[in-house]
Amino acid sequence: MNMLRIMIFAVVALAQLGVPAAMVWQREQTLKQGRVWKFRTAPVDPVDAIRGRYIALRFATEEFDAPVKFESGNKSVYAVLKQNTDGFAEVDHLTTEAVETDDVVPVESAWWYGGKQHVRFPFNKFWVAEANAPAAERAYIENNRRDKQNAYVTVRVRRGDAALDQLFIDNEPLSEYLRSHSPR
Amino acid sequence: MAGVRNRWAIRWLRSQLPELVASGVITSENARAIERHYEHDEPRTNFAFVILATLGSALVAAGIILLIAHNWDDLSRATRTTIAFLPLLIAQALVVFTLMRRNESRPWREAAAIFDVAAVATAFSLISQTYQLQGTFSDFMRTWLLLSIAIVYLLRTTLGAIAYVIGCVVWLFATRGMFSPEGNPMLFWLLLVLVIPYVAIRFRLDRAGRKTAILVIILALASLFGVGATADFANANVGALAYAGLATAIYLCGMKFFPQTTGRLHPLAVVGGIAIGVVTIVLSFESNWHMTYRFSRNSAANLAVAVELLFPIAAVCLAGFDLLGRRAAFSLSAALLPIVAAVAWALTHLCELPDDKWHSTSCSFAAAIVMNCYALLLGIDILARGIRRNSIARANFGLLLIAALAICRFFDSDLSFVARGVGFIIVGLGFLVANLLLFKRRTAP
Repeated sequence: MNMLRIMIFAVVALAQLGVPAAMVWQREQTLKQGRVWKFRTAPVDPVDAIRGRYIALRFATEEFDAPVKFESGNKSVYAVLKQNTDGFAEVDHLTTEAVETDDVVPVESAWWYGGKQHVRFPFNKFWVAEANAPAAERAYIENNRRDKQNAYVTVRVRRGDAALDQLFIDNEPLSEYLRSHSPR
Repeated sequence: MAGVRNRWAIRWLRSQLPELVASGVITSENARAIERHYEHDEPRTNFAFVILATLGSALVAAGIILLIAHNWDDLSRATRTTIAFLPLLIAQALVVFTLMRRNESRPWREAAAIFDVAAVATAFSLISQTYQLQGTFSDFMRTWLLLSIAIVYLLRTTLGAIAYVIGCVVWLFATRGMFSPEGNPMLFWLLLVLVIPYVAIRFRLDRAGRKTAILVIILALASLFGVGATADFANANVGALAYAGLATAIYLCGMKFFPQTTGRLHPLAVVGGIAIGVVTIVLSFESNWHMTYRFSRNSAANLAVAVELLFPIAAVCLAGFDLLGRRAAFSLSAALLPIVAAVAWALTHLCELPDDKWHSTSCSFAAAIVMNCYALLLGIDILARGIRRNSIARANFGLLLIAALAICRFFDSDLSFVARGVGFIIVGLGFLVANLLLFKRRTAP
């Protein structure tokens, strides 16, 4: 009976290790081999109850001109990306076809209002360590105003999987920016 | 140190007893005397040790976390990932140790279970942070619950089962709560079903136990939340039947599976009784019988309707089974609620259903009248039962039901002040007379 319990627990333990490990593995692949896209951010911030603190991200390209509503029926929506002249990512068009290339990202939700198509990318939370959260928030808000658009994120895309990599403020990764701008 | 050696020695000695008796070295009487002698020592040292060990390891862990947190941002992704998995590996080692060496000690099992489940959450949150994993709180809760349920069974922890059921409700609120009204709540039932075999095991082993009672009550309350979310999701006019069925099923389960010899009701039956009263009063409002022919029809919504209908069917089966076997100990009028609700529901469908939920029909009034009559009869029956059984609590619950019904009707109808005043006086007199009667009977020799 006890041996059986231990054997069952071995399976459970493998699952407990395997699920997060699989997430790590997929992310590692995308971060190592995916194509880099830069997304300009647009402002906000709440607090998630359990997983520490994060910066809620909005992107400039999540809203773009479209004369007619994109009809997806009940299917999942994907955004095909293109690079603009400044080197930032823009949505080229939306599609319901799941193409596994390095310029397509899934879209969480899509809606149309007043001649503009709105989408929500699935990478919209940037986790920060508890100790840095207030400073990170301040830095993000200061560099993400209408008169001072100085923040962007890099996202690696590989076969339709999008992995948020870094948040850049004033062209420095967040952690380095905080270190160089800390009061000490 | 001496204490530890002693404990080992005692355990060894106790393990030798059957052999010694078998070989005739000591009599079974001697063996029992030795057992009795050491009986009180072990659990106490065991428990104290677990508490101290938990406290000690928590302090060490807190220290390590402080050291790591200080340099967290400077660590590489690989290092952070390793650190995220460490507590989980330690917790799993502790579970294996507990299963092999401390399987009979409840504190060890509870502590190992809590440690393991917390370590899974820690690993997830650290990995989420390190790899900027997105996902919602509801996704996280679902994965966490699924990875934890087996621990409840393996380590036989009732506290863990209670926490799991509460976790299911948290998942429900995260999926179809105030901030995310669109989610599909049906997985809730699957998550809840996963804990049912454990409830059955507890029931078989320790039916009268306090922890078993708490577990079944938490399960009943969780189901009430589940029915609410399911009815909201199905949006198919059968929420009233589902609630009536669930409340009655809870009451009947309490009466049937937890019979009490003292004449008092099991807490589960009390919860069910209160639920029956509340549902009856809520359904006595005419606005709750507004139906519309516009409801969702897709496979997910149909499944939700099927789940909703399970409850009244279960309640009727439970009651019918006992009635046929002439073993019914429950209040028949309370058990009738799902049937009465079904009659009222059928009545509303005699009229053509309006476009939206804001319109009354003559049939919705008829349904409300049926429910009002039932509420009054139920109140009177419970009052009479209370008086017959000499139970002040039950008699007052019956009166409370009648009073609640009266108050609700006074406020939503256009009666004159005189009529309302007279009504209140009658209800108040009812309370006084019934309580006087009961107390008189109690004090009489």
